[in-house]
Amino acid sequence: MRTIILGPQRFMTTAGTALRSLGVDGPVATVNAGWEEREDDVGELDSVLGGRTRHLRLYHRMLDVITKDEAFASAALAFRDRHEDLMALYRLRLHKAMEGVYAVQRRPPSPSGEAFGALDDAVEGVRRLDDWYSRELRDLYRELDAAAPLESSDVVGWHRGELEAALRDSAVLVLTGGHVGTLLRALRLFALRVPDELPVIAWSAGAMALTERVVLFHDFGPRGASEAEVYDRGLGRVRGVVALPHARRRLQLEDRERCAVMARRFTEQHCVLLDDGTALELRPDGGLPRGARILGLDGAVHEVVPR
Amino acid sequence: MTRQRLAVNRLRERLPAESAVVDRFVARHGSPIVEGERATFLFRGDADEVRVRHRVVGLPDPLPMRRLEGTDLWAVTTDLPEGSRVEYQLETRRGEHYEQFNDPLNPRVAHSPMGSSSVCAAVGYHVPDWTRHDPEARPGELVEDVIRSKALRRDQPVQLYLPARYNPAQRYPLLVVHDGSDYLGYASMKTVLDNLIHRLDVAPLIAAFVPPRDRLKEYPNHAPHARFVARELVPRLTERFPLVDGPEGRCLMGSSFGGIAALSTAVRYPGLFGSLLLESASLVFTDIGMEHGGGPYFDPVVKFVNRYRAKPSRPVERIFMSCGTYEPLITPNRSMVPVFRHAGITVNYTEARDGHNWENWRDQLRDGLSWIFPGPQKFVYE
Repeated sequence: MRTIILGPQRFMTTAGTALRSLGVDGPVATVNAGWEEREDDVGELDSVLGGRTRHLRLYHRMLDVITKDEAFASAALAFRDRHEDLMALYRLRLHKAMEGVYAVQRRPPSPSGEAFGALDDAVEGVRRLDDWYSRELRDLYRELDAAAPLESSDVVGWHRGELEAALRDSAVLVLTGGHVGTLLRALRLFALRVPDELPVIAWSAGAMALTERVVLFHDFGPRGASEAEVYDRGLGRVRGVVALPHARRRLQLEDRERCAVMARRFTEQHCVLLDDGTALELRPDGGLPRGARILGLDGAVHEVVPR
Repeated sequence: MTRQRLAVNRLRERLPAESAVVDRFVARHGSPIVEGERATFLFRGDADEVRVRHRVVGLPDPLPMRRLEGTDLWAVTTDLPEGSRVEYQLETRRGEHYEQFNDPLNPRVAHSPMGSSSVCAAVGYHVPDWTRHDPEARPGELVEDVIRSKALRRDQPVQLYLPARYNPAQRYPLLVVHDGSDYLGYASMKTVLDNLIHRLDVAPLIAAFVPPRDRLKEYPNHAPHARFVARELVPRLTERFPLVDGPEGRCLMGSSFGGIAALSTAVRYPGLFGSLLLESASLVFTDIGMEHGGGPYFDPVVKFVNRYRAKPSRPVERIFMSCGTYEPLITPNRSMVPVFRHAGITVNYTEARDGHNWENWRDQLRDGLSWIFPGPQKFVYE
């Protein structure tokens, strides 16, 4: 299984080099549903990928399903409402829980030096909250699947057939950046199964979508730092990784205490920084290659040194 | 650390000087001269008195200028903390004749329904770039509408903002803007919405810009106005547009008396709106008696706010409040924050070194709107 995850492509294009490094011939299937209504603006993408592209147009296919399958459209709308309600509650609880973590972290050491494991326990509380959200979301998906089984939709079935055929004939799959929510929705709707033997190149939102758990983050939004939040499951092809595209632009990397909390919160994964110019081909066992930049438990940025 | 001498003091040391020296000084510096956290206002001409008129709480108003000996140049220097923005005019007295006007040496002017004023911007104040036209931001559309209102017994004009790439298959939050025409005219609110939506700071939304007919009557806790907004405007827009169904998708906003209109409407119809965006709201109250000093127009405001303070309720979940530290309403606004919070409302309160004016309210829009209806920035990783 060959998988290459890249940093953002806007200022430093590495996708063409990554594609050439795979040394494969044949069509390059692309998923750029995250571009939404700009999905067909593919001139630049075509030139970067050498003109061998086969655009799967998942966003437009998704709109087609919504237009033609009323039962699915209505169930999807209801799902979206409930998901938004769930996210609102999750954010409310997360905000308070993270305030607690930072308050404990900021507290000066007591004269005895005894910390009672308060910080670890506070972070554990956040992890439990993340798990609660993920469980509830899984239940919502289960209910959606029961209300509008995708297998029973002719429109979805037709598109899936086309997509499977397109993927079967492709030599590489490329997933671009964009709106990660839209990208995940499209991938889920068409249950895009990426065969292990099909090489994949993905960047930014595309790289996030390859992981098991997609985490949203932005420390420099208009309202200042907001907490990273678990959003959804990804395709799970890249394991043990939280992908952090635009890390330099979106994370307060100089705030080591804040970064340390993030690393501890997602301690079972590596928080991998995907900045301009980053190109990481995963090892055959799925591990990160030497030199991949990750957040350490001390809040500093470290490079992976494989054992 | 030695403080560099002010330009006007350096000029004083050269006096008496020829008129050409003063000409060059004025041409070089204009007015006001901002040096560190000090601002020197200038006026040139013959008069018996010249004063700076402003409404900055904490500074004397009027601020008398002094003539530089042997010249026709008048000057006064005052403190101006970093990031400040002050609107002012000059006033001259010649005999018994008083005249008030914008500073002829200062090209920077702000506009409002009351006319225009000169602007003094301190070190550190910048007009936010998102308030200016951005050719890359796709423009939304303003649609004129008229609603036949039984509550107000008239045809009420409304300007509706539809975001760029408006799509009836999507659903949008609703923002109801009091003093709607003024927000569009004096706070560049269409440009601001276009830019903030384009930058993903604010969710694409539908806004209803509602102008008052008689704001001093309709805005301070007026039942027909509240009925119009809650029972006529919102249902009509809900019927016509794909709006988010639920209080979390509805926000009332307003500044000054418009803030009272927003709050009092929410109090009369609790649970209909999820949030309020209040800018320099006229939250005047008294702790005893009714001597509030605001004149008769404030009587209904004070009655309403006093009643609310006596029995605070939670008509909405969240309030974004902003106020200028140089305006008289700063104390009432600060005082209301804990009252709202104790009522269980999540309050996001912010202050600016500015006054009771439209550019201050414009400058706070990004903080307010992005908190009330955050855009998809957190979802987009190009």
